[in-house]
Amino acid sequence: MIEAELVIRNVQGLHVRAAGLFVRVAGKFKSEIFVSRDDKEVNGKSILGVIDLAAEAGSTIRVRAVGPDEDAAVTALRGLVDGKFGEEP
Amino acid sequence: MKFTGIPASPGIGIGPVVRFEREELSVRDIRIPPAGVAREIERFHAALEASRHDLTRIRDGIAAELGKSEAQIYDAHLLILDDPELKRAVEKGIREEGRNAGIMFRGYMSAVATRLEQLDDEYLRERRADVLDVERRVLRYLLGDGPRAAMALDRPSVLVAHDLSPSDAAQLDRTKVLGFVTETGSRSSHCAIVARGRGIPAVVNLRGIMQHVKPGDIGAVDGYAGEFELAPDPARKAFYVSRREAFEAEDRTLLGIHGEPAVTLDGRRIELGANIELPGDVEQVLATGADGVGLFRTEFFYLGRPELPSEEEQYQAYRGVAEKLAPRPVIFRTMDLGGDKVASYLGMTHETNPFLGWRGIRFALHHPELFSTQLRAIYRASAHGRVRLMFPMISSLDELLRANELCAGVARELARARIPFDPELEIGIMIETPSAVWMAEELAEHAKFFSIGTNDLTQYTLAMDRDNERLADLYEPLDPAVLRSIRHTFAAAHAAGRWAGVCGEMAGDPMTAVLLVGMGADELSMTTFDLPRVKAAIRSVRRSDAEAIAREALLQPSAAGVKQVLRRSIEPALPGFLSARRVDS
Repeated sequence: MIEAELVIRNVQGLHVRAAGLFVRVAGKFKSEIFVSRDDKEVNGKSILGVIDLAAEAGSTIRVRAVGPDEDAAVTALRGLVDGKFGEEP
Repeated sequence: MKFTGIPASPGIGIGPVVRFEREELSVRDIRIPPAGVAREIERFHAALEASRHDLTRIRDGIAAELGKSEAQIYDAHLLILDDPELKRAVEKGIREEGRNAGIMFRGYMSAVATRLEQLDDEYLRERRADVLDVERRVLRYLLGDGPRAAMALDRPSVLVAHDLSPSDAAQLDRTKVLGFVTETGSRSSHCAIVARGRGIPAVVNLRGIMQHVKPGDIGAVDGYAGEFELAPDPARKAFYVSRREAFEAEDRTLLGIHGEPAVTLDGRRIELGANIELPGDVEQVLATGADGVGLFRTEFFYLGRPELPSEEEQYQAYRGVAEKLAPRPVIFRTMDLGGDKVASYLGMTHETNPFLGWRGIRFALHHPELFSTQLRAIYRASAHGRVRLMFPMISSLDELLRANELCAGVARELARARIPFDPELEIGIMIETPSAVWMAEELAEHAKFFSIGTNDLTQYTLAMDRDNERLADLYEPLDPAVLRSIRHTFAAAHAAGRWAGVCGEMAGDPMTAVLLVGMGADELSMTTFDLPRVKAAIRSVRRSDAEAIAREALLQPSAAGVKQVLRRSIEPALPGFLSARRVDS
């Protein structure tokens, strides 16, 4: 299992477009992916779940991947979040 | 009675009001016997599939009409249909509780919508509308109703709604909808963007408007002012009609010169290009009557995606643009990453001073392989149209020489592999830094053209952050220091036999554009929105007059003095609808 703590830094937070990118990247991996914020944990491949975390700008999320490509999955998701989902700041 | 909201789409529409009510779908709770479970699950999947089919069609239609970024909202809706947790919960409910798909689906979606509604974050709270939009679409199929019939208006009408969902917006028909107003929303709401794309007047954010309208009322939507008037008396109606005529006269003037070149009264032709950033923007460029594309930003390939674009993908996109524009030219600006455009997977990290940091050509030269991939794609595309390329953020001669060397390497490789490209491909640079301005003579020996990026040139020349709100009044492209930098750049280009243009926001203001022509600009590039007005301005002045005005402006000791000269000397020469629009005191 690989786990990482990520800070949401894009202005609009994990909104629909960003959540869409997130689950699309998560969906490419075989591993199960979980995302949590505070004590709520959701399936990282579920857009409704990820939106439901309501992770606004500045909040911290935890990404947990379990499976054969867990390393690559967390690396890819970290790149996406740290890159502010490609938004201009 | 008059109400004020936010102007969302220009135009004036008057007509009978139709209240657009959210439809209520009633879902019954039905027991599913064990023998019927498989069939009920199948029905659920069929409803998802039918919805997916509709949404894909809408998404592709909007992408073609308004561009990919506007279609993203439908991509999100499609992702909801594929949500694994949603499917699992509904199937589990059907199987284990013996209840029907409709009730389980609605239960799940409503729970998500309710949680979103309770959030503090306004943006995410508004996403509730997306969830409900998808919910209604799928439910209609589960209830056997099919998609909602296109807004059934029996005569052209003004729509009044609480809000218009993306699904509703996609159906807005300009022959039926004279205009619309909504209680919620902003200029960047999806329905506002669709309205602008289709030329439907709209005002949004009219709080509580629904309680004021009854069917049969006459309503006037003023999309310029952001106003909505109910039951206007004959005098007010006449006012709206004459106001509409004035704006339409402007449109006719602009349409009349659509196919005409930007030529001054004494015969000096200026090349007018468009600034765009997506391949889909080309249609708009052609519709606007531009001479080509003066700035194609290529950053979209690198941002908002998890991996690097391949050479082939870039080539196909650039080629498509070059082919559609041919024989008009297109200038591809190579990757301008860094500053305010960050792609973390490229190893870019937060910098304390990003605008003075690792950006533009500096970043590209640090990644010669990545950069060469883009150059190869542009070179290959040059076989299919009139392609030029330019480098951003050049601040020394050495950078230009190194970038040129990479281009020469790419050309050699392609020639060796017998891959076609245009051997005459023009390579130019953007002039955005004071150092480039003062080295313009040397740079002109190694670049075929200059394009001045006035936004960055202003902020670097004045040492003023253009995004700092406290400096908003001081950040001033008409500052004499900036104008003298521009004059120096033009003079250096012309002395070396090169052409020079401007692709910053200055080029898009009609009065300033005339000033730039007077200073010697050969080309101006701007948004497709600004282009027709700039053309009208150039066609209404003499170049010799513009030159005299420019000489006077360049003698001014302050931006205020420059503006006085422009208002006194240029404004009276312009068509009435262009005057005093943008240059304020």
